Amino acid sequence: MKLINAKNFIPIVCICFTVITCGKLLFEKIAGFTDRYYTENIFTVLGFSVLITLILSVHYYLRKFPFLLVFIGQYVVTVGIVFLAIWIGSKVSDIAPTAYWDMFYSITIPFLGGAVVYYICFFWQIRKANKILEKL
Amino acid sequence: MKLIKTKEENLEENYLELHYDTMDEETNAVLDRLRDTLRYIEGTYDDKKVTIALTDIFYIETVDRKTFAYTKDMCVEIKEALRDILEEYSNIGFARISKSAIVNIYKIKKLQGDINMRVIIFLKNDEKLVMNRSYKNEFYERLNKLQRRKAK
Repeated sequence: MKLINAKNFIPIVCICFTVITCGKLLFEKIAGFTDRYYTENIFTVLGFSVLITLILSVHYYLRKFPFLLVFIGQYVVTVGIVFLAIWIGSKVSDIAPTAYWDMFYSITIPFLGGAVVYYICFFWQIRKANKILEKL
Repeated sequence: MKLIKTKEENLEENYLELHYDTMDEETNAVLDRLRDTLRYIEGTYDDKKVTIALTDIFYIETVDRKTFAYTKDMCVEIKEALRDILEEYSNIGFARISKSAIVNIYKIKKLQGDINMRVIIFLKNDEKLVMNRSYKNEFYERLNKLQRRKAK
């Protein structure tokens, strides 16, 4: 089943953007941190939300390929696009000295988290199916 | 309606015998369920026409536009297309596992996952099949349906 389609693409981007922005603001409030690059980061979050939704929507078309290959490929493409965007951004405005590392963590942590959840669900489904098969 | 089970040793093949005066609703319902499971399909094996019970089939696959049904010791070429078999006999326990194969769920010994998120199907005849990720949800849905039907 195709979960992300042309109809729900923008609502999904909006939800991602809202959740990430709320998380960011909450974290800043708790940590007492003031973001010097507030405007740039808000637009980065928007771009990031569009990119992640786009990459997840492509996943449906790549189901016939081995999962590991698709996962690594999508991760490398995401990191590549984000780093390219940072590099372009650095030409037109100031960026934080740790911008590349910050974005690297921002991509790697959700990707790894997503993969772990996906793997757990996958093996849990198999375990459940084996129990049903035993009873049939 | 009464059910009498009798164990007979050295029986060549298990059989069911129905004793009735009039066919009531309950008996008809039982027969309806049996009709599904006791269906047969025709095919060719070694250039000879053969009839096999659908419940004996482990899996069916399409190779070079020809459809083959695999039983414990035969590979029978059948005329039906995979789609037709699924439409007609899915309630017997057939589920699609790839573009070119369907499996009889009742003939599965166990499932195992690999690192590439593919599901390996171990059949009761010790053969192995690979389930495509695209058909995973459809397969689990069928499995759950069979479980619900059994629970009824």
